[in-house]
Amino acid sequence: MANREALERPTTTSGRDAGRARPPSAARGPRTSGLRKVAAGVVLAVVCLLMLSPVLWTAFSVIKPTNVAFLNPPVYTFEPTMDAFVDLWQTTNFYQYLINTLVVAVISTTAALVIGLPAAYALSRSPGWVSVVLLVAALVFRALPRTAVVLPMYEISRTLGIYDTTFALALALVAINQPFSIWLLRNFFAAVPREIDEAAMLDGCTRLSMLRLVLIPLMGPGIITAGLFMFLFAFQEYLTAVILTDVSSSTVPVFIATQLGQTLPLLQQAGAASLLLTAPVFLFAFVAQKYLIAGLNAGSVKG
Amino acid sequence: MRRREYLYLVAPSVLVMFGLLVIPLVRTIQWSFERVRYGSPGTFVGLDNYRDAVTDPRFLSAVSFTVVVTIAVVTVLVLGGYLLAVLVNGLVRSRPLVLGLLLVSYVVPGIIGATMFSWLFNDNFGGVVNQLISALGLPPVLWFTSTWANRALVAASVVWSLVPFSMMVILAGLQGVPKELVEAARMDGAGTVRTHWSVIAPSIRGVLGFVTLISIMDVLRLFDQLIPLSPQAVQIGNESLVLYIYNRAFLDGGQQLGLGSAMNVLLIVIIVVMLLPFIRDTAREGRS
Repeated sequence: MANREALERPTTTSGRDAGRARPPSAARGPRTSGLRKVAAGVVLAVVCLLMLSPVLWTAFSVIKPTNVAFLNPPVYTFEPTMDAFVDLWQTTNFYQYLINTLVVAVISTTAALVIGLPAAYALSRSPGWVSVVLLVAALVFRALPRTAVVLPMYEISRTLGIYDTTFALALALVAINQPFSIWLLRNFFAAVPREIDEAAMLDGCTRLSMLRLVLIPLMGPGIITAGLFMFLFAFQEYLTAVILTDVSSSTVPVFIATQLGQTLPLLQQAGAASLLLTAPVFLFAFVAQKYLIAGLNAGSVKG
Repeated sequence: MRRREYLYLVAPSVLVMFGLLVIPLVRTIQWSFERVRYGSPGTFVGLDNYRDAVTDPRFLSAVSFTVVVTIAVVTVLVLGGYLLAVLVNGLVRSRPLVLGLLLVSYVVPGIIGATMFSWLFNDNFGGVVNQLISALGLPPVLWFTSTWANRALVAASVVWSLVPFSMMVILAGLQGVPKELVEAARMDGAGTVRTHWSVIAPSIRGVLGFVTLISIMDVLRLFDQLIPLSPQAVQIGNESLVLYIYNRAFLDGGQQLGLGSAMNVLLIVIIVVMLLPFIRDTAREGRS
């Protein structure tokens, strides 16, 4: 632990001052501490507003009628309309790209968990050089530039005749995200005491049935966390998708990138598409924050 | 655990990583020594690609752009993430709401976030930021065509998408700092800034080191954000390393696949060298 030394140093000083121990806020007086709270609240509110401003401005531009949507200076009074959303749905293949994105995300998440869980379990229970090699490889692969593996994947997928299929993209993402997934799951497994495996196996479980019947239910939150991250990464991926797909299996990020160089109505549709994708993500951030934070902590502080 | 069981358990994951990461990686290394394009076999050219890479002015400009952006962004990510984490750590009831709002820019796909970000700055789309700048009596900024203004824009967008991550990890670190430690420092008369600088920050330096490393790796891979934010990246010298590799090796029909592969290899070497201390720690942890 990094903070052990720091922990030990100040205890001696606090002993000296134990006689006049008072909570620091009381020492400073309630008024200053109240003021501080208000100031901190104002700063945070401004930060939140700034952080959301790109989304809010996009929403504001998308509900304008097309002819005034991108005027400079911007107009602030207009008749709100949903035309951009209707056009997006009727004139583009947005729903197809949306389905592709979801299919890729679901397949790659499921496969990453099915493959990653046993490996992560083995890594958490069995030290030795094989584990060392795997963990180091996972760390290095996690850090690689995508292009180093995706450019050859393009050639390989052409040779195998699976270029521009959601299957190939999902497969590529399973591999690319496998290091992170076994790393994260290993840290969650490490938190489960070994005695539990041993007890279950004494009761006659095989290793696999123990994993399936005892550990995986115990690991519920950890698996949800890893699954959410896999889903998120697949859903966000642009570079891999733009290289491995063409017309028939493009994902939403690729679609939005191709709309960028187009004319204004198409751009407004891209804005509408961005919002349609941001809305579920918004919900996701609220519902899943507990798991995301758990994952960021398990994947980082311990790793 | 018996050796056979161990092998069964890790086999699927190892096969996937070997087949889909190691084999492509070997191909990249092989290509880096060849003059090659997609669809036709390459010819061995030795170290020519590496020589071409390090003498190409566009490559050098991509290196300098990437380094400048990485240093600026990582500094802001660590400092800003720390400040935000301290503020959020003081919240009680409103914490889930604030965390949820702050997480949005992290979970939105990078290219979509950057597209929305670009519309705040683009004069063709209302240019609301330049409107505000003009209202202050300053000349409007050429966010997309002036090299340094565009760098600032790209950096701001990357900070926007990654600061929730650094905030979150640092917040977890702060929660592990014992309350007695902070109170002891306060009672010794240390002010807020002093307490953070001399007591709290040093006690979470492991976490800060981790955030720095991950941020460096993420920014070195900068690609998605540049598509909407720097459409003229090549002309104004704001290509990132990965964008340069993509442009050279893929976009123009894969004419320079060998050159792009050599740059991939160089980038991997740099990243692995940076990772060495972490690799050592991992190896130690895996053995025990």
